[in-house]
Amino acid sequence: MKRHLIVPVLLLWNLATLAAGKQYALQVDGLACPFCAYGIEKKLGAIEGVVKLHVDIQQGRILVTMTKEAQLSEQTAREKVKDAGFTLRSFSRIAEGE
Amino acid sequence: MNEARADRVNKGWSATLAVLLIGTGGWIDRARGAPITFNTALPVAKGEFIAREQVVVNQSGDDPSGLDRDRRSQAAVTVLGYGATGRLALFGVLPYFDNELDVVVGGRRVTRSASGFGDLTLFGRYTLVQRDWPGRNFRVAPFAGVKAPTGDDDERDALGPLPPSVQLGSGSWDPLVGVVATYQTLDYQVDTQLSYQANNKANSFEAGDVARLDGSMQYRLWPQTLTTGLPDFLYGVIEANLVHQGKDRINGSTDPNSGGTRLFLTPGIQYVSKRWIVEGTVQIPVLQDLNGTALENDYIARFSIRFNF
Repeated sequence: MKRHLIVPVLLLWNLATLAAGKQYALQVDGLACPFCAYGIEKKLGAIEGVVKLHVDIQQGRILVTMTKEAQLSEQTAREKVKDAGFTLRSFSRIAEGE
Repeated sequence: MNEARADRVNKGWSATLAVLLIGTGGWIDRARGAPITFNTALPVAKGEFIAREQVVVNQSGDDPSGLDRDRRSQAAVTVLGYGATGRLALFGVLPYFDNELDVVVGGRRVTRSASGFGDLTLFGRYTLVQRDWPGRNFRVAPFAGVKAPTGDDDERDALGPLPPSVQLGSGSWDPLVGVVATYQTLDYQVDTQLSYQANNKANSFEAGDVARLDGSMQYRLWPQTLTTGLPDFLYGVIEANLVHQGKDRINGSTDPNSGGTRLFLTPGIQYVSKRWIVEGTVQIPVLQDLNGTALENDYIARFSIRFNF
C-alpha cells in the first residue's frame, strides 16, 4: 500500500517545488532535538516568500523553498538562525534542476 | 538521630555513590530532551514563548516525631518562558497548591489544609557560553530571580494559624541565583544546575536557605536510528537532585527539627515532538539526612506537558 503512495507523493512534492521558485540549503550547527528545531522553522517560515521548509535533523540541513519572485540572502538566514539560538555554518543556493 | 534514621542515612550515602557511578557510566557510553525536575534549562528562541504545565504530587509521611504526621501536597505548576533576545530568556513560575497535613493533636487525628495560588517566581537566564557543532551544542547560562510573596501566608483553621508547611506562600521576597549548563547531541542530553535561594523572614518565621545541585541525563530510545526529516524522539530520563536546606528560624530562634539534606534519584520518560513534549518522573529519596524530627519525603511524582507557541 505504502509503495503505491510513494509515486503520487513524490509527484506532488515536485509539482509544488516547480510551482515555487528558488531553493536554498542551510547547514545549521547546534540543531539536536525536534522541540528546538521548531524555533528555527518558525523564524525561517516568517521570512516573506518562503513557501516550504524541510528540516533534516540528522544532517543539520534545512532546505528553504521560496516563491519565484523572492530570494533569501545569507545575512537574513544567518540572523534568523541566530535568533533561534543556533549557528549558520554554510549557505548555498541550489541550482534549478539539482 | 534515631537508629532507624541513621541506618537509612548510611544506605543513602551508599546510594549517592551509586548515582555518581551511574553518572560516570553515562558519560562513557553514549548517554541521553530538557530536564523534568527543574525549569532553568528550557530552550526558548528570540521573540518566542514556551509554556510548561506540571502536576506535582509530593507525599511525606515517615514521621520520626511520634505525631504520626502525613503531608500531601498536590500542585499544578504553570511555567511561561519568553525569549527576550537570542541569549536572554525570562521565566515566570506560578504554582496552585492543594496542601494537607494529617497530625495528632490532643489525642485525636486532624487534617489541616489550604488551597490556592502559591508564590510567583520570576527569573532571567542569560546564555554566557554558546558553542554549536554539527548535531550538538553546549550552553552555560547563569540565572537570577526572586520569589514574590503572592501566596497567602496567613491561612487559619479552627485550630489557629496553619503551620508553614501547609501555608500557600512564605510571605517573604526571596532572591535566587544559579547557573545551568547543557550539553546536547542527537543521541543524548546532559544538564546540570547549581542554585541557591536565600529565604527571608515574614511573620516571625524564616525558612532555611535552599542550595540545590541537580543533574539530568536524557537518552534517545526511539527512533534508535535517525533517518531523514524531523521525527519525534522518545527519551529515557534519569535525574538526581541534591537539596540542602538550612534550619528554619521562629521568632529569632533556630528550629532544631527543620532542614537537612535530601538526595533524590529520579527516573522518567519524555516524548518530544517539535510542538509539544509529554513527560513524567518519580523522585525517589535515596538519602534523607534531616535535622531532629523533620518530616521525611516518601516520593515526589511529576507529570507535565510543554508547548512551543
